[in-house]
Amino acid sequence: MPISFDLTPEQRELQGLASKFAREEMAPRAAECDRTGRFPEEVYRKAWELGLMNLNVPVEYGGSGLPLLDQCLITEELASACGGMTTSILANCLALQPINLGGSPEQRERFLKPFCADYRLASFALTEPGGGSDAGALKTRAVREGDSYVLTGQKCFITNAPQASLYTVFATVDPEKKHAGITAFVVPRDTPGVSLGREEDKLGQRASSTATVTFERAKVPRENRLGEEGEGFKLAMATLDSTRTPIGALAVGIARAALDHASRYALQRTSFGVPIAQHQAIATKIGSMVQELEASRLLTWLSAWMVDQGKRATLESSVAKCFASDAAMRICDEAIQIFGGYGYMRDYPVEKLLRDAKLCQIYEGANEIQRLVISREYLRRFS
Amino acid sequence: MEAVVCIKPVPEADSRLRVAASGVTYDPEGVRYTLNSTYDEAALEEALRLKEAGAFEKVRVVSVGPPRAEEGLRYALAMGGDEGLLVETRPDDLLDPGFTAAVLAEAVRSLPHDLVLVGRRAGDDEAGVVGSALGEHLGIPSFAFVTGLTVSGGGSPLKVRRFTEAGEELLSVPPPVVISLLKGAQDPRTPTLPNILKARRKPLLREPWTEVLSRHPGAPVRAPAMRFELPPPRTGAHLVDYQSPAEAAEKLVKLLREEAKVL
Ligand SMILES: Cc1cc2nc3c(=O)[nH]c(=O)nc-3n(C[C@H](O)[C@H](O)[C@H](O)COP(=O)(O)OP(=O)(O)OC[C@H]3O[C@@H](n4cnc5c(N)ncnc54)[C@H](O)[C@@H]3O)c2cc1C
Repeated sequence: MPISFDLTPEQRELQGLASKFAREEMAPRAAECDRTGRFPEEVYRKAWELGLMNLNVPVEYGGSGLPLLDQCLITEELASACGGMTTSILANCLALQPINLGGSPEQRERFLKPFCADYRLASFALTEPGGGSDAGALKTRAVREGDSYVLTGQKCFITNAPQASLYTVFATVDPEKKHAGITAFVVPRDTPGVSLGREEDKLGQRASSTATVTFERAKVPRENRLGEEGEGFKLAMATLDSTRTPIGALAVGIARAALDHASRYALQRTSFGVPIAQHQAIATKIGSMVQELEASRLLTWLSAWMVDQGKRATLESSVAKCFASDAAMRICDEAIQIFGGYGYMRDYPVEKLLRDAKLCQIYEGANEIQRLVISREYLRRFS
Repeated sequence: MEAVVCIKPVPEADSRLRVAASGVTYDPEGVRYTLNSTYDEAALEEALRLKEAGAFEKVRVVSVGPPRAEEGLRYALAMGGDEGLLVETRPDDLLDPGFTAAVLAEAVRSLPHDLVLVGRRAGDDEAGVVGSALGEHLGIPSFAFVTGLTVSGGGSPLKVRRFTEAGEELLSVPPPVVISLLKGAQDPRTPTLPNILKARRKPLLREPWTEVLSRHPGAPVRAPAMRFELPPPRTGAHLVDYQSPAEAAEKLVKLLREEAKVL
């Protein structure tokens, strides 16, 4: 397909739907949920009703099976209203992707369909208290007993865990084997031995919920194993390869909100007799913010386009996620600066954006790890 | 029975309009269009509910407008319309509301139309003419200020509830009929993502307006616009500085008494 930056009428419509939902359902609750940490279930339910959840689930299982580019367009719109709610809406895509990619047709039928037929949440459980970046060293054990596996261990920082009815869990059948021992399982929440820790109190993205999940001899039937023993690490990485780009789009949405607030404010606030936008120091800030925002969006579009074309996009998706989230932090920081003292106050919208943007540098592969991946991919071309 | 809903794409309410080079309308460049704001959405919602209650087999949506009007029609199909007809104008064809009604009448005449629903007025020019003129051109009764409809189907009379100065009026009218709907309790649905995708595959016919109008008996009168101006920027706003709500109220009352002299 030739490169085009013209969205199709259908893409504009999807964007319009997401933008309307963001404006009418998310934005009015964003400040309240940020203050109280409330998980706005009514928003997530409505998102599900409109088909804004499970964007990656194939049509034959009742999802919308959208190309990644379209998912990114939707994500940016949602995130411009609230990053935290967007994370919780996207969490289903992340949790169901291992089933999409590694499940048998029977497993997809059994696990994916209920998520499209009813409002339900799922969580992706990879990170452990002992470490997130080094996923190959995870410690949760899966011991084969007859026709079942018995899971023991702990997963932390799990998005939507308190509300989820299903977890995709990565555990090792043999710690000696490191990566090659990691295996993926689908674990229903009501499995005996599965318990929840208290909900985390977070810096930002407070409308999303995050908690620890503990497995104490949780028995999972063999039919819930995704792929073969030892295929879990690859599956986790393949999953993150396809969900990293939307995190870039999420950062773009937050940054766009910050830039829009800052632009309006700079035109309206006066000092020394003129709108502050007329002071060059403020104008050049906005000039830089616009550049970073545009570059971030183009990088996410490029990465999404490559994935949609079936091309390998490990480098591009890491670049998009890393650049867009770092840029979002700089843009939000400058937005606060443009607001001056008001920017520091909770009654104004921009400080929340900075706190929300911060997470994008950490989860789905911390940016330090993204840089390692990018350099490794790039250097490979010379060796 | 089958219904037709006429919709007009209009700029979104928060659009910043500029005068077009022609000087007789606004510049469509850079404007985002919606269905005729909430008026047509309400009319379509009413038709869809009647269809879901079994009163109609099909709901078709018709628009007279430039090619970009397709977006409004697709939105209507995503809400649940079955088929669309776009009577295409060129960007510099300026159709006044009465003339639009004549074109629309010929488009509607080509479709089964036991009920023709229109919004009470357009969200941009606010003319409110098309409903009545459409009835006139089609030679069928039309009712404006309608607040509610009951349709039992099978060609039996429609119960039409109208809002008047004196009170509410309930009428029984045999189809076909044109109804211009007041925005009421409809709360139009938002199309879901799967329905947006499905709407792409629903039939949408296009016909040039000149062709449609050629079926019209006689030449409809035109009332071309001569000039279009934006309202002058507002001045005279007086912002009150205050520390507390009580102080704000006190200062406001003082200003209303002594300056505005309205109290
Ligand atoms: C709000 C929130 C929601 C989350 N949701 C989920 C979820 O749903 N599911 C899930 O599985 N996980 C989730 N996570 C976990 C997240 O993915 C991890 O926090 C992340 O991968 C980093 O792991 P860590 O916190 O253990 O940090 P560590 O791995 O301990 O890293 C600490 C620091 O060291 C750096 N570092 C580590 N290794 C290297 C290296 N080799 N070279 C250079 N620097 C390095 C890291 O970049 C980081 O700055 C979530 C986290 C948060 C905060």
